[in-house]
Amino acid sequence: MYIGIDVGGTCTDAVLLDRGLVRAMAKVPTREDLLSSLLEALDEIMKGVEGELVERVVFSTTVITNLIAEKKYDPVGLILMPGPGLSPSLYRFPTDTHIIQGAIDYRGREIIPLRLTEVDQAAAELAARGYRKVAVVGKFSCRNHRHEKEVAARVLWNYPDWHVELGHQVAGQLNFPRRVVSTYLTCATREKYQFFVRSVQEAISQRGIKGAIFILKADGGTLPLESSLEVPVETIFSGPAASTLGVQALTPPGETAVVVDIGGTTTDLALILSGQPLLASRGARVDDMLTHVRALAVKSVPVGGDSVVERVGKDIIIYSERLGAPYCLGGPLPTPTDALRVLGLTRLGDVDRAREAMQMLGAPLGLSVAEVASRVTTRVIETITREIEAMFSRWEQEPAYRVWEVLQKKKVRPSTVVGVGGGAAGFVSQIAARLGCYPVIPPYAPVANAIGAAVARPTLQVTLRADTEQGIYIIQEEGYQGKITERSFNEEKALELAKEWLCKRAARHGLEDCVEGLEVTRREVFNMVRDWVTVGRLIDVTVQTRRGILYHVGAGGTSE
Amino acid sequence: MKNNKTGLVFFPAFDWAISPTHPEREERLLYTRDQIFEEGVLDLPEIEEYAPRLATIHDIARVHFCVPRVQSQVTEAHLIAAGSATLLADAIVHGELKNGFALVRPPGHHAMRVVHGNRGFCNINNEAILVEYLRRHHGIKRIAIVDSDVHHGDGTQDIFYHDPDVLFISFHQDGRTIYPGTGFPNELGGPGAYARTINIPLPPGLGDETFHYVVDNLILPILEDFKPEFIINSAGQDNHFTDPLGSMRFTARGYAEFTRKLNPHLAVLEGGYAIETALPYVNLAILLALAGHDYSYVREPEWPGTMPENPERVARVQRVVEQLRNVWENRDRVDLDKIFGTGTFYQRRKHIYYDTDYIEEEQLERVRRCPNCPGYITIDSRADHGYGHPNRVFCVSIPFTACGACQTEAYDAYEQARGLAQYQFVYLQDKSTDTFLAFDRDKGQEWVSEGPKVGE
Repeated sequence: MYIGIDVGGTCTDAVLLDRGLVRAMAKVPTREDLLSSLLEALDEIMKGVEGELVERVVFSTTVITNLIAEKKYDPVGLILMPGPGLSPSLYRFPTDTHIIQGAIDYRGREIIPLRLTEVDQAAAELAARGYRKVAVVGKFSCRNHRHEKEVAARVLWNYPDWHVELGHQVAGQLNFPRRVVSTYLTCATREKYQFFVRSVQEAISQRGIKGAIFILKADGGTLPLESSLEVPVETIFSGPAASTLGVQALTPPGETAVVVDIGGTTTDLALILSGQPLLASRGARVDDMLTHVRALAVKSVPVGGDSVVERVGKDIIIYSERLGAPYCLGGPLPTPTDALRVLGLTRLGDVDRAREAMQMLGAPLGLSVAEVASRVTTRVIETITREIEAMFSRWEQEPAYRVWEVLQKKKVRPSTVVGVGGGAAGFVSQIAARLGCYPVIPPYAPVANAIGAAVARPTLQVTLRADTEQGIYIIQEEGYQGKITERSFNEEKALELAKEWLCKRAARHGLEDCVEGLEVTRREVFNMVRDWVTVGRLIDVTVQTRRGILYHVGAGGTSE
Repeated sequence: MKNNKTGLVFFPAFDWAISPTHPEREERLLYTRDQIFEEGVLDLPEIEEYAPRLATIHDIARVHFCVPRVQSQVTEAHLIAAGSATLLADAIVHGELKNGFALVRPPGHHAMRVVHGNRGFCNINNEAILVEYLRRHHGIKRIAIVDSDVHHGDGTQDIFYHDPDVLFISFHQDGRTIYPGTGFPNELGGPGAYARTINIPLPPGLGDETFHYVVDNLILPILEDFKPEFIINSAGQDNHFTDPLGSMRFTARGYAEFTRKLNPHLAVLEGGYAIETALPYVNLAILLALAGHDYSYVREPEWPGTMPENPERVARVQRVVEQLRNVWENRDRVDLDKIFGTGTFYQRRKHIYYDTDYIEEEQLERVRRCPNCPGYITIDSRADHGYGHPNRVFCVSIPFTACGACQTEAYDAYEQARGLAQYQFVYLQDKSTDTFLAFDRDKGQEWVSEGPKVGE
């Protein structure tokens, strides 16, 4: 049996799945102490079920999101080696930043050496200002981490009890400013996250559950809880990923659909293209900073069932804030939910109070209760529909760097609009009608997020970059740099090597099972030609475990 | 709706090359990609990346006479490179962007009006396609192209040699020392477009200081007089001190400063073959300059500092600058008949060598000296591919602003050539109505490209 738990901002949802069937579900309010909400939900679905029967527990959590949002972490200083390029004044990071000499180029060659006296000085200044945590990041450190390691060694030699985080270990992709932010946030949250993880492990084992515990990441993949300690920031924004995977599990395979998750204050939109959730092309924005955190492409629209509706002059305006429950549920001000109630599109709350809410808005304009209600819902529907259209055109506008990529780009439009979340029922059919799609509200829609967490697959990937001219290779995710000893190293051998590394990595995380059916997601070979002679090759290969979900719910548990 | 953003189309064409070891190959923009991505430049709020798009066959036919037809001379990569430039131009004209950089491959500035094959790594001319597109779709008339490639932009010069509304300025390494061997100060444009072509040959080995002397004392003053509505930079980067094909000594910073001063609407990548030592840095510096950012921290690893320049060569450049300023200032007082004669047609013979495809072409170009318009052009072209019979074609081009008389005469010339057995293909390019015809003698067929109708 599988368990999925989604700790959201308002509610903590849980489901117990038994071979693709929902055995139990729970919805409890999320309290300040996340752990207690998590356990309460867990206990509710586990009634009468032996802990030993649970094979895996997957949960998504807001713990890192909250830590970052509320800045509940120790200060982190930065020591950076940006080398030549953008002016350092363009890099504005929200903390003490020390820029020192030293530079690596795009092929990992040192172009400016480090000066250790500058490292000492930077560390001393940070120490004087009370820092005990520092992130060390160099430009192109993912191509050669020597400078970062030397700086860290020097800092720790001076201050052995400091917590030092290195850029190349946090993010292997190109984009130095994002690597800085990711490293900074990792350094900031690691300790507190560790504490949280230990408590979860403790609590779950107390419930007699011996199955594996996983945590959901923003990209919809899972990681063993223990392994997530390495990358705490990747657990941010797993809520929308959970809902999207839930929809994927609750709809037929291969569908192109828009997921509309209408909550109280926001509506989250996501795309499923031919059965796979769309990943954002670049890393997520965290606390208004750009990071390397891989995430599903989710657009949050600031409108929901509880948004405040007001009359301004002759206009009726929907604000992006929530000031309590809808009027029909005893709240202070009219909301879209009241409009839905009046139109008979929801059964929530008291219809008389809902009519009263519409009356307050419409009377000065001489509009009937029904007219106001339909105006309010139309506004909401228009806003959401516009954002869906924009999301598709943004996806079509993604850059392409190869001829075939440009040629294969075609307009894709969804066939279905799938509604989940509290406000979905009232709005989804009209949104679908505007987009020319079928509306779908799947069974278990209110706990789709928990279902998504339960069926999410573990994901692991390995990116290998080999430079045969220099005789070196790098495993991006591991921050490993090795030598190529074989003289006849080629693309096929690079692929074999990458697969070996993926297996090693899987073993380290206890995920040996999922190495089956590996996918090669990137394969690039460039000849390096000097003076008309090929002197070497640059080979880039990315292999990953199968993405997606374990099975579709309600379909008898067949694996996808 | 004036926007302050710089648009970028980055199209490295990682799956397109002339041949595996050719300088113009897949790897060319690889390190540029790494540098731009690693810097996080695309995250800057002032820079907006666009997805590339394809130019249409019609867009190409508006500029070139491709033999036998457009489809046989262009690949999809060519259409994407040209289309990306027009895409950015649309956004600039619509006010979404203040300027843009089409960082694309393959390049185009050696492609001339008639195309029998690839010359100087080029098949179709991205800047020329852009100019005609701007005129047709946006009604922009006066356009300036400044070519900063180390090689003379002979293709662009050829296409606009008789066009009074397009100012073409090229500085480059002296043609006696480098391909294509043209671009001397006496090439000034035809009788109807005198001094609309300006060539500044530079002796090899000169650096940023002389480069900026030319910019400040010749290029910028001429542009100020000409008052173009749109400025295009044909942004070749092989004047760099590490370039394997050129012998100049410009730096990334020199290029960036030039970009800042020129302030082009659109820069379109041309040459530049120092793919590791120059391109990542020069492209980054140009992009920063376009976006109005500080580029002074962009420095190539081999940056030599200031370099002493040969005073004798610098003096030579100063003389050329002075001479050309003179030409420019007196352009309206010159007796054109003295230079070009008094016939109804001005004609010149051209010999064109296609270095990549080993084609020898002989051309007789004639332009009608019309008092009311720039005059129509006919080209009798014979291309020797080194096997079998040479290919002979006849081309007629009617300018955008043609008068009725020229248009009628041009159609007559086309009809007449269709009746002559020596031409395998006869073409008519009517820019005034955006209609292009091609007649295939062997098949006895004519095909027409009328392009999209209004509202499509």
